Amino acid sequence: MHRFFDSDFFYAFRRSPIAIVSLIVVVFMVLSALLANFIAPTNPFDAASLNLMNGFTAPMEPNAFTGETFLLGTDDQGRDLFSAILFGLRVSLFVGLMAVGLAMVLGVLLGLIAGYVGGWLDTLIMRLADIQMTFPSILIAMLIFGVARGLLPAELREEMAITVLILSIGLSEWVNFARTVRGSTMVEKEKEYVAAARLIGLNRWQIMLRHILPNVLGPVLVIATITLALAIIAEATLSFLGVGAPRTEPSLGTLIRIGQDFLFSGEWWILLFPALTLLALALSVNLFGDWLRDTLNPRLR
Amino acid sequence: MSFVVAKDLCRTFDLSEPWIVRKLTMQPKRLLKAVDHVNFEIERGTTYALVGESGSGKSTIANMVVGLMQPSAGSITIDGQNLGNASMNRQEQQRLRRRIQMVFQSPYASLNPRWKVGDILSEPMRAFNLIDGATAQRRRVAELLEQVGMSETDAGKFPHEFSGGQRQRISIARALASQPEVIICDEPTSALDVSVQAQVLNLLKSLQQDFGLTYLFITHDLAVVSTMANKIGVLNQGVLVEEQATVDLFSKPQQDYTKMLLSAAPKIEFSS
Repeated sequence: MHRFFDSDFFYAFRRSPIAIVSLIVVVFMVLSALLANFIAPTNPFDAASLNLMNGFTAPMEPNAFTGETFLLGTDDQGRDLFSAILFGLRVSLFVGLMAVGLAMVLGVLLGLIAGYVGGWLDTLIMRLADIQMTFPSILIAMLIFGVARGLLPAELREEMAITVLILSIGLSEWVNFARTVRGSTMVEKEKEYVAAARLIGLNRWQIMLRHILPNVLGPVLVIATITLALAIIAEATLSFLGVGAPRTEPSLGTLIRIGQDFLFSGEWWILLFPALTLLALALSVNLFGDWLRDTLNPRLR
Repeated sequence: MSFVVAKDLCRTFDLSEPWIVRKLTMQPKRLLKAVDHVNFEIERGTTYALVGESGSGKSTIANMVVGLMQPSAGSITIDGQNLGNASMNRQEQQRLRRRIQMVFQSPYASLNPRWKVGDILSEPMRAFNLIDGATAQRRRVAELLEQVGMSETDAGKFPHEFSGGQRQRISIARALASQPEVIICDEPTSALDVSVQAQVLNLLKSLQQDFGLTYLFITHDLAVVSTMANKIGVLNQGVLVEEQATVDLFSKPQQDYTKMLLSAAPKIEFSS
């Protein structure tokens, strides 16, 4: 720990206001998503506690019928927006993190295999990656989402929606991981410590996972952070289009979609606050990722 | 029979364009003969040096002797056992691998930067099932570090905390960890300062006396060779042009190529 605070990395962090602010925002958002149960004044998923009379209450104004006030207003169902945003943030972050995790495991493994084994396997994996790169990843995610929903029985669709969402975003973002890892693997495998490992008879998997993997993980961390922002936006886009998180378990994207219906009738807050939250989250994750990339890339120093 | 025997060793590299490009541009295959019918024998407990300029095939031979590369033709036998014998099962292969180890050229690339020295040194023990139990392994690591002139506490450090010479010592300790009989040294000192070179060479020499090691020394440095080797083979473009005992080679070289090599080297005074 003491070593960390003395490092160049921490020094660079302290000197960068952007990094500090974006990290604080991210940590704040993650904490409020984790602690949503305790922070949120109401449970937005408990249909029994909702009072339709509270619908369309403006922020910080008492409701005309019930006299209740809500920090960020309510939506058409009388749901407290502040609570809905907290729980939506949790869904968005969960889907984003799991999708990045999936993309990372898949991409790193395929990249390691392509780089280390080479030959036709390398060609196959990397051409597949090239083909996938020619489609926008949101299109791929929608395709996978559609196919998966078609395969699932109707009664499971609502339950499995989040899982399917994670799978489709994860599968659409593995390419960047694979490309970077393949490149560094090809550099590392020529080094003599790999030859030394082959000399004592280790097999390919042992060499790839125990020797090469720890040495190619540096850039992966950076890509994971930048991909997290992409995944959160992809999730919001899918949910906005109505193919993502269901209405019963709304993410930020779902909330924006609901708000969009009322934007032109004057209830601006239903759209604005979830959208601002999404903006702040995606922007700070992205800025932090950019800063990480600039700091950890030796060629830019 | 000698301990290490290389017989009619050949290795060709295929530098051709991909098949489809070759057919379209009507080019023939381009093959490079890196090693061409090389024969040599090394007696147990002695040092044999292969010298030659860059691209003469020295490192290719080293890689074939340790089994990192398969010969295109010919064979290498260690203590009567053929290295390229495909009928060996995994256990027999491991038993043979344990007896041949290598010290690499670059002290910076030959140690995994993410592993602690103790883990680097105990890995061969685990791979060859030599020593069981963490405590016994730690004791053996300490012993190895002491043998190469380092301290027990270095086991907990990472490679980047050491100088080039110290890393080369760790590399030697790793080679010793599997209790080998033959060690191939592929330019072990060429990345080091001259003063450090002498220390590493002296270490290798005393280890040879202590454990009866057989060395195959790959180098372009004739000063290194003159202090270490019993016998020298001179390689030129993959062909072994001359082979003599060390003293004879320096006093009466037979081939023009050898004379040229000797005259190109900085003059060395012998005190012994």
